[in-house]
Amino acid sequence: MTTNSKPLPLEGVRVLDLGQFIAIPFCTLWLSWLGAEVIVIESRRRLTSRTAPPFAPGMQGNLDASGYFNLLYSAKKSCTVDMTTAAGRELVRRLAGVCDIMVDNFSTGVLEKLGLGYDTIARGNPSIIMVSNGAFGRIGELRNARGLHSAVNLFSGVADVTGYADGHPRILGGVLPDPLSGTYSGFAAMAALYHRGRTGKGQFVDVAMYEAMLTMIPEAVIDLTLNDVDPKRIGNRDRVHAPHGIYRCRGEDTWIAISVTDEAKWTAFCGAIGQAGWLVDARFTDAANRQRNVAALDLAVEGWTRGVDVHAATDLLQAAGVPAGPVLRVDELLDNEQLQALGAVVTIDHPVAGARRQMGLPWTMDSLGADYRRAPLLGEHTREVLTELLGVSDADYAKFEADGVLN
Amino acid sequence: MQRPSQEPQAGPLAGLTVVELGDGTAGPYAAKMLGDFGADVVKIEGLEGDSTRRRGPFPDGHPDPEASGLFLYLNINKFGVKLDIDDLTSRPAIDSLLASADVLITNLPTRRLQKADLEPATLRERYPRLIITTITPFGRTGPWADRLGDELVTYAMGGIGYSTPGMPDASDDLYREPPLHPDCFVAETITGLSAASATMAALLGRERTQDGCHVDLSQHATIVAMQIRDSMSSSYAGERYNRLLNPITIGRMPNFYLPCKDGYATIAAPMDIHWARLVEAMGSPAWALSADFSTPTARTANWIALRVNLIDWTMTLTGDELYVLAEKYQLPIFPFYSIRKMANTAHARERRTLVDIDVGGRRAAMPAAPFLMRETPWSMRRPAPRLGEHNSAILHERHGIAS
Repeated sequence: MTTNSKPLPLEGVRVLDLGQFIAIPFCTLWLSWLGAEVIVIESRRRLTSRTAPPFAPGMQGNLDASGYFNLLYSAKKSCTVDMTTAAGRELVRRLAGVCDIMVDNFSTGVLEKLGLGYDTIARGNPSIIMVSNGAFGRIGELRNARGLHSAVNLFSGVADVTGYADGHPRILGGVLPDPLSGTYSGFAAMAALYHRGRTGKGQFVDVAMYEAMLTMIPEAVIDLTLNDVDPKRIGNRDRVHAPHGIYRCRGEDTWIAISVTDEAKWTAFCGAIGQAGWLVDARFTDAANRQRNVAALDLAVEGWTRGVDVHAATDLLQAAGVPAGPVLRVDELLDNEQLQALGAVVTIDHPVAGARRQMGLPWTMDSLGADYRRAPLLGEHTREVLTELLGVSDADYAKFEADGVLN
Repeated sequence: MQRPSQEPQAGPLAGLTVVELGDGTAGPYAAKMLGDFGADVVKIEGLEGDSTRRRGPFPDGHPDPEASGLFLYLNINKFGVKLDIDDLTSRPAIDSLLASADVLITNLPTRRLQKADLEPATLRERYPRLIITTITPFGRTGPWADRLGDELVTYAMGGIGYSTPGMPDASDDLYREPPLHPDCFVAETITGLSAASATMAALLGRERTQDGCHVDLSQHATIVAMQIRDSMSSSYAGERYNRLLNPITIGRMPNFYLPCKDGYATIAAPMDIHWARLVEAMGSPAWALSADFSTPTARTANWIALRVNLIDWTMTLTGDELYVLAEKYQLPIFPFYSIRKMANTAHARERRTLVDIDVGGRRAAMPAAPFLMRETPWSMRRPAPRLGEHNSAILHERHGIAS
């Protein structure tokens, strides 16, 4: 997927990144790979995620060797400015004046306290697009509530449809509210950019992480408000189709996902596993009957899967035309043959942490490229950004340095 | 701040023209993102219509292809035409739609596109400025290109299935708790959003190159790309992902998801300062002051006893009471909200997180804007189309195609 010879979609777009944790860094990760110049403001007082594990082996605590930082900050620029100083805040304000997009996921109100809120910034740069991402958003009674991904999950309603049959609500994995709301933030930034290209107008965008999560559960929201039906947790089953589940295979903690969504697939499934008798079993004759007898059906299916190898079972079902696949751990995926064939796993070399693999963009573009470069060292681009973009003189730069503004 | 508007608004993408050949959630959601923010979207459905029309939820559960709540949500802000793409007599209509479009979004299987002579490579030659976004389960090249995958299968293969239930609610029984999929379209929704983002990037790229683009998006790769947090320890330390509830998975204790009087809540106290506040919030019980829990190391070593003792406390309080304490003592504690409870909060009402939708003549609520744009707010310009509703208005009047 590294196709540097092709034009980059967001070349010439400059982003001021005041992000932290995962949501906004993930948003600007995709923007930077798409060609935007992303300038990250950090300082030794506010070290984004450089102190977070995992570190490259033997480099515990090395600020340039955090996997947490290096994977999320690929292809971005690091500019160290201490925003607790008045001069530092002024530099960030000036940078906002020469950027197209500004993004943050501070707690609500922090930017305003720093004098970097949208209304202040837009006075100097009316065409700026500011995308501001918070757990509960920037307006509403709970705007100041702090929320980790688990709180966002629990408030969004997604936990209401996550759980084993008749069990309690559970929490979805992968800290999904972060990358999901980050992706919405990126879409919003690009939509606003498109609009600005036609009208010249910038704007403010308020992204609430829980509203991003809510987009996954329209079915349950509508069933509740239309029919007054509260969600029922049903494990891995589907409310319409059966069998539909994650079944135990041979070997410890090994599972296969099988999804039979129509009668042709049901016939193919029974034939493939040598259970033609199920086709004439009164309990399983159509989707409605299979749904009525789903417990017995799942038991019967697992009776087959328990004795088979997960990959052999996948091949058998796929050959018969039934969607099926192994449950894969995230650590298995960087070696996955399909992702490798797509070029979706990229290897990026770093002078301190070494060559490391990570997922790149999950799509390819035939006429446009993507730019996979390493994450910056702490403060690597401070001089370049301040002198070239803001025209700070060497004398002023030395004074800022001496005064600790660029720590 | 502009909340979702009751008045139709032009939207930031006004002037863009999109053709959707979609089914289910992923393709239709990608086109909905563009349509919701102002693009002019024409959805092409086959003679039987999008399969979501047969899924519901329906008023009182009575199937009606024009009253599927999910279909009506996924397809607002679109025009709809009914066309058999395999029928040669449909060609002039499809050609005319694509000739004037900026974007084609499709999640139809590769073989269906081949059969209908709608291969991306062919379309790129025929319509050089067109952005063609194809969504397939595993991508259009590679050893799995022909494999079948849907919501459940791509989710299970994408890492997130194995890690659900997820932090801090990990599994305490690998045998009785299989990897878990929620009862909703996780993989397809994320894929639709990512396809919309990829399409926006290609459109912005086209502004400079004047060239179209084939965006080839893999649903499976999209789910994996979201797992960046969980992939860090394998990328940097070669570690195997562990889904068991224990300090190796969860980190500093306490960091739990626990039952309370009327539901469930997450309770975390990662640092000594948090632990001191939590002890105070609990009324400084003797157990919490003992040497067994006095240091981070001790709390981690004795995490099972810590969990049991905390449950004894949380079971005396409701989720709301726990949250009041969380606010008072500045602790990361948060209770579970049912959809019903969330929908009724002043917060969700103030943001218009949900807005009204008509489903078969009855009023329901649906998720509104996924984010609030001050200058170009989200709005509902038109309800989802009935099957073939705009054949006349779009094909005959706009494109001059005879019926």
